[in-house]
Amino acid sequence: MTQYKMPKFAVLQLSGCAGCEVSLLNADEWVDQFQLVYMPLVVSAYEVPEVEVLLVSGGVRNNEDIHHLIEAAKRAKKVVAVGTCAISGGVSNLGNRDEVREVFLSQKERIHLPRLLPRSQPIDDFIDVDIYLPGCPPTPELFMALLLEKEDFKPSKTVCQECGRKKLIDMKPEHFLGFQAGKVLPDICLINQGYPCVGTSTRGGCNALCTKPGHPCVGCRGPSDAFIEKESSAWLGSIQRVFEKMTDVPPEEIYEILRSPQLSLFLFQFSDYAQTGKPPRPKEKVL
Amino acid sequence: MTTLTFPISRIEGHARVVIEVQAGEVVSARFQATEMRGFQKFVQGVPAEQMPVITPRICGVCSTAHHVAAVKALEDAYGITPPPLAKKIRNLLLLGQLIQNQATSLFIFTMPDRVGVDSIFHMSQEEASSETQFNIAQCALRVRKIGTDLITLAGGQFIHPVKAVIGGVTSGIEPEKAEAMRQRMLKLLPRACALVDEYWELSAQMRDRIGSWGDDQPAYYIASTGETKPDLDTDSIRIMEPGGRIVENFQPKDFRKFLNYEDTIYSYAGQSSFQGKVLRANSLARMNMIKSLATPLADDYLQRLEAEYGKPAHPILLFDLCRGIELVYAFERAIEILSEPLDNEDTDSPYTPRDGEGYGLVEAPRGPLIHHYAIQKGKITSAEFIIPTVHNMLAIERALKVAARRYVNSEQINLELEKAVGRVVRAFDPCIACATQ
Repeated sequence: MTQYKMPKFAVLQLSGCAGCEVSLLNADEWVDQFQLVYMPLVVSAYEVPEVEVLLVSGGVRNNEDIHHLIEAAKRAKKVVAVGTCAISGGVSNLGNRDEVREVFLSQKERIHLPRLLPRSQPIDDFIDVDIYLPGCPPTPELFMALLLEKEDFKPSKTVCQECGRKKLIDMKPEHFLGFQAGKVLPDICLINQGYPCVGTSTRGGCNALCTKPGHPCVGCRGPSDAFIEKESSAWLGSIQRVFEKMTDVPPEEIYEILRSPQLSLFLFQFSDYAQTGKPPRPKEKVL
Repeated sequence: MTTLTFPISRIEGHARVVIEVQAGEVVSARFQATEMRGFQKFVQGVPAEQMPVITPRICGVCSTAHHVAAVKALEDAYGITPPPLAKKIRNLLLLGQLIQNQATSLFIFTMPDRVGVDSIFHMSQEEASSETQFNIAQCALRVRKIGTDLITLAGGQFIHPVKAVIGGVTSGIEPEKAEAMRQRMLKLLPRACALVDEYWELSAQMRDRIGSWGDDQPAYYIASTGETKPDLDTDSIRIMEPGGRIVENFQPKDFRKFLNYEDTIYSYAGQSSFQGKVLRANSLARMNMIKSLATPLADDYLQRLEAEYGKPAHPILLFDLCRGIELVYAFERAIEILSEPLDNEDTDSPYTPRDGEGYGLVEAPRGPLIHHYAIQKGKITSAEFIIPTVHNMLAIERALKVAARRYVNSEQINLELEKAVGRVVRAFDPCIACATQ
């Protein structure tokens, strides 16, 4: 094995759940082709050395996250934001609501602990990102496509196209069942069955791994290319139109479900710029 | 006062050990969890039915346990019992998690300590002598991956599963798919056993090198599993005293009577005890409490452990060996379940959501996990996550102090200390994302 001639890569985990790392470990193809030099979950090393690629997962939730991120990014030729938390804050965004933020207040009796920030922040608030790899977590195939820069990796545009469930014209639910309500019929579109699936405009590439076994897509890969450079209301509007067309669910119920926490974790990915004034991330940078 | 700080790698999440030494005396050894996202607070206001998809995001390593605990807490609140087939498929899901977790802890987190490398991925084939090491790495990843594949088969998504739903699971498993998985597992089982044997041998060599399996004192143990054989769906938690007698057996709703929880000022994770006494959860707790694993190969390993170390056994490095035993058990048990029909009955019971309170208990790889929700108008008004790693916090710190005293004296601080600190923490396989949420 010529391990030491292989390109080096590092994985920096900020505040997150390690699900992205676990997914990367499932993609074992890279083991023969890359040298993993830093990833605290599986490697004992004190700091990030010079690397070709730095994968960053997790959001910026405390002052140590900021420090580690900025230091690591200096030593990387290419920085990749991996997973929803690094791209937009992910599940931690639920903590950005004013009514629950008191939990992050500093407490003077705490000693030797990183200081929590008032909000969870995406990593491109602090450093330049070359590629975004959305997903909660991204699948092993997506990790491989990223690392090996696979030219032939051409996923479908949307989760809907990868799902394969049939849409029926005459099966229109009058109310949503919620995200989970027990039995799911095989082969028939989840929207027809009353589940608020947002796979019609969610970015493909995951091989529809939630909708195939019967759970509605919650949009973890973010919007498809058609919406990625637009504000989040454009994506929301598209989903709303699909629900209006395919169901007889009252508009206020559609409005409410689109704003439910589980979807809001992901629906604002790439486009929640209301408070930052940042330009949208170009779709060319998104895998 | 000298303060020694050791960042800990090869565990889940961000943590460090801080040891204070004064005039050659170890004054304190603290285990600090240094991250926090605030789940317990920020799920307030979330529609209850969304908890099974939101809470797996507490931890990508323990996601399956949170997924099932969330579903069970809601079923408790709504007063429903899922049909037997749904329970069986959930058990398969939990076995997949057990395989994935124990293989990760054994081969990715702790194997490097035994062969003296920084990472399993740095085991190189370059030198002939390390060829076995490289083969171990390749094989370990394959064994680990089948756990993930089992989670995918039974749970849909592979990290944050989706198939367990309130009232049951979304669907059964088709016979062809179950059989294909069973064949793969049958084929891989001998390799898993060979890895466990290798691990056992390397651990014995490490024990000889350092002169101990861990010289901490005995402790109390906590687990939620069957008395005579493993039960992945029990509704009670037991506590065993150091001599091996079961002293408490309680329902999750009564946990406050037995478990005292305290916040700490130096860590984002709290600590719990059994009425002030040091507790241990995780693999060793289960192996100490269970009579038999009821699968042949795993029972052989269990008997070997008992013959060599007695029962209950207390040295902390035995946690690691017990994970090996459970890895073999999870393979064998999953193979048994996969040979039964898994799509012949209903997989869900009808239900009507209602307000109230619910408790969901799951024996996660790291010990008993409880989700407790209060629901009003369909929304979560308060949530508590009772995390297994938190039960182990006092035990980790006590063991760290013992280890530190071994390597620190008035003349010097032995460089072996850093390695010892890593070994002690990894024996407990703590999960920091869960412990702090």
